[in-house]
Amino acid sequence: MLSVLDEKLIKLNLNCKTKEEVISILGKLMKQEGYVKDSYVDAVLKREQIHPTGIPSKGIAVAIPHTDSEHVNQSAIAIGVLNNPVEFKQMGAPEISLYPQLIMMLAIDDPKKQVDLLKSLMDIFQNEELLIKIKNAKEKHEILNLLNFL
Amino acid sequence: MRRVRILTVCGSGTVSSSMIANKLKDTLGEKGYKVETTEVNPGGVKSALSTGSYDFIAYTSPIHGEFDIPAINAVGFLTGFGEEEFIDEVLNLLEESE
Repeated sequence: MLSVLDEKLIKLNLNCKTKEEVISILGKLMKQEGYVKDSYVDAVLKREQIHPTGIPSKGIAVAIPHTDSEHVNQSAIAIGVLNNPVEFKQMGAPEISLYPQLIMMLAIDDPKKQVDLLKSLMDIFQNEELLIKIKNAKEKHEILNLLNFL
Repeated sequence: MRRVRILTVCGSGTVSSSMIANKLKDTLGEKGYKVETTEVNPGGVKSALSTGSYDFIAYTSPIHGEFDIPAINAVGFLTGFGEEEFIDEVLNLLEESE
């Protein structure tokens, strides 16, 4: 399996005030590197309004903005760590606000082919210790090392 | 081995519905169930129900309307935050319908 991680898709110390800002920054990186199509960022922003992706994981909230496979060229995960949390709505419960500092933006080209990746992602959301280590990483390669099983 | 058919629903009908489908297969598989899933977005629920028969719906995006089968919120199952409650609810439901 091709790795879905790419150092170029990791951003630390982001100063964003809104989820739209962080989604745009990470989405543009994915576009620059050719992982997603021009339509991806707008599609993610639009989807986030209707189907929010904030996850109240144990100990630390995470958001996993994503959209339909038609906007994706190749599966990848962009990771953004914010200096200050921004508001996301909770998946399945749009009336609840969450304040994640760790954003994992997903581009999945075909979920049927990515069964192992999706399983690993679920394990990550349930691993408080790992999430906190990612959030506190000082260097990009620390995150690559922490997630080298993907 | 008892067969269970589950309709999993998320915003795009891809990412989180597939995550839940995979995890249901593992979790219920360990309990001796043979799980088949179909992944759809909320707009696809009606047509899926009209063309196939399912034991229940597991969703991470709110779905609206009246259904003849139970619909269970699966966000806790996805996040691990309320996972046991979800599994208990599913197992109770499957035992009741036996």
